[in-house]
Amino acid sequence: MNSGVKHTSVYKVISLIILVILAILFLFPLYWIITGAFKPTTDIYSAETVWWPSQWVLRNFRELFSSRSAPLFQIGSLTGPTVPAAIRWLINTVFMAVMAMLLTCVTATMAGYALAKKRFVGRNVVFTLIVCAMALPKQVILIPLIREISALGLYNNLWAVIFPTVGWPFGVFLMRQFSESIPGEMLEAARIDGASEARTFTQIVLPMVKPGIGALAIFTFINSWNDYFMQLIMLTSSSNYTISVGIATLQGESSTDFGILMAGAALAAVPIIIVFLIFQKYFTQGITMGAVKG
Amino acid sequence: MATLRLRNIVKTYPGSTEPTVHDVNLEIADKEFIVLVGPSGCGKSTTLRMIAGLEEITSGELYIGDKLVNNVEPKDRDIAMVFQSYALYPHMTVYENMAFSLKLKKVPKDEIDKRVRWAAEILDITDYLERKPKALSGGQRQRVAIGRAIVREPKVFLMDEPLSNLDAKLRNQMRAEIIKLRKNVDTTFIYVTHDQTEAMTLGDRIVVMRDGWILQIGTPQEVFEHPANIFVAGFIGMPQMNFFDAELVKDGAGHHLVCNDAKIALSERIQSALAAKGYESRKVTAGCRPEHMVMKAAGEDTMEAVVDVSEMMGSEIHLHVTCHDRDVVVRIPTTELEAHQRGGLEYGTHIQISFPGDLIHLFDPESEENLL
Repeated sequence: MNSGVKHTSVYKVISLIILVILAILFLFPLYWIITGAFKPTTDIYSAETVWWPSQWVLRNFRELFSSRSAPLFQIGSLTGPTVPAAIRWLINTVFMAVMAMLLTCVTATMAGYALAKKRFVGRNVVFTLIVCAMALPKQVILIPLIREISALGLYNNLWAVIFPTVGWPFGVFLMRQFSESIPGEMLEAARIDGASEARTFTQIVLPMVKPGIGALAIFTFINSWNDYFMQLIMLTSSSNYTISVGIATLQGESSTDFGILMAGAALAAVPIIIVFLIFQKYFTQGITMGAVKG
Repeated sequence: MATLRLRNIVKTYPGSTEPTVHDVNLEIADKEFIVLVGPSGCGKSTTLRMIAGLEEITSGELYIGDKLVNNVEPKDRDIAMVFQSYALYPHMTVYENMAFSLKLKKVPKDEIDKRVRWAAEILDITDYLERKPKALSGGQRQRVAIGRAIVREPKVFLMDEPLSNLDAKLRNQMRAEIIKLRKNVDTTFIYVTHDQTEAMTLGDRIVVMRDGWILQIGTPQEVFEHPANIFVAGFIGMPQMNFFDAELVKDGAGHHLVCNDAKIALSERIQSALAAKGYESRKVTAGCRPEHMVMKAAGEDTMEAVVDVSEMMGSEIHLHVTCHDRDVVVRIPTTELEAHQRGGLEYGTHIQISFPGDLIHLFDPESEENLL
């Protein structure tokens, strides 16, 4: 009994040490970006590593916001007031990520529910195709996707990076797994109670797959926010850039102001950290569900 | 009026060549309590689900009242159903669960409130109306499920094994509640169970099913006292009926039974029934319920048996014995035993058993049908 307790506590201590080391490793880039954003240029370019800013300055943020400018919005011929480009990029990114998140949640929840609970011809084929699509690297579908987006007249438009995310196969897969857990008898009870398909979906299914939607929301938001590759390919004009593409363009050919880059990166990280903190409960649930049921 | 008529109802699932339910014909009277009973896979739940409209009817006609409802949506059949898993909406409170169907029907709020509280009072769940289902015990959840059904004041009340998720004690309690409920909710009930005790205690009539076929329809007493065949005889009654290979012998004095060298005299009632049907000497399967078996001193009408297990049940003893290679159960009230036998009989004890000739069932060994 005693040796059992000892064994457990040793195991706990070792686990804790490993987790702390991993946490430090994962947090270090974030620490470096945030402190770097506030470091004076001398600290950034110092020959010796400066772990902590010698003084906290806002110079990098000032430079970031004054380096370029763009209209706040452009809807047809209607153009908003001129603002620092970084603000426009941030707005673009938030718009892109939020729209991708909302649309993916709507479509994936509906598709996942139908694939889990409805009987129709070709259901398994559709699901197999979706699972296969999960294995396709983005680069493989890039050229057809660009042609499709161009044909729709959406090239160099934020919708060009939103729409491809909306049909995210993983989202459908995840929501199908969550929908599988809804007992069939509950849907039958709703049918007998007189609920239409739409009402069953909105009043019975949606509340029951809420953790799944939460998980999917954060997955989609992060995925869309971080999809630098697609944003770089699809967006060409400065006013349509997202924050990550915009920051990348701040690098000069011969010199790079790392202070501005760090400030931009810190700015880009804030919304995603907020979203993660809000939805982290669902995020963990989503991962667990995928692990158990997948 | 909520009579039900099932005419030649057949259910065949897509991809299957054999029907799951064969040619079911059943007439259910208004306010009758019908129990569909049978082992797993006998088609009882499928039949109930066809009545509910949750399964399509492959062929045949289903009438509720005078209306053919084969293609009518469940919500328009004026039925309510209680499911085995309760199927309560977990994100809604008990009140919301019970009010859901009424809200969809656009019943005025005060009327909804009145009906929900009336049902809650009947089921003694008024204190839990604001709780979510997860905060309730199994028995309370079952009451809510029943409450959700009765607030609708349906023409037909369908229950699909509603007690099978409860423990034995709660099941007995809820069974009594359902009997009480029936007095309060005067409507037609169709109840599905695999538990013959539930069937016997609840039903006005029992429908015994096997492999998609109806084997017998009758009152609990009819089914118990005059089972249509060996399956029904074995399925209804606990412990189940004992069966013996026997010879029906007709001689100048009438019919008697020879069973493992024991000569059993048959009662006049059975003899006249056999004579009326013109039976000559033939092989039969004789059935006798454990409570009708007797342990007695060796004689012309007894068979030797060896005790395998002796179960002390309090007021009676269940003796599991081997009699000519057949497992036989004998129920003996402890009052009929001598003092030293009341704790049970030892393994391997040789005893003599018999059955009275007026409480015997005779079946055709081939068709398994009741001969009487």
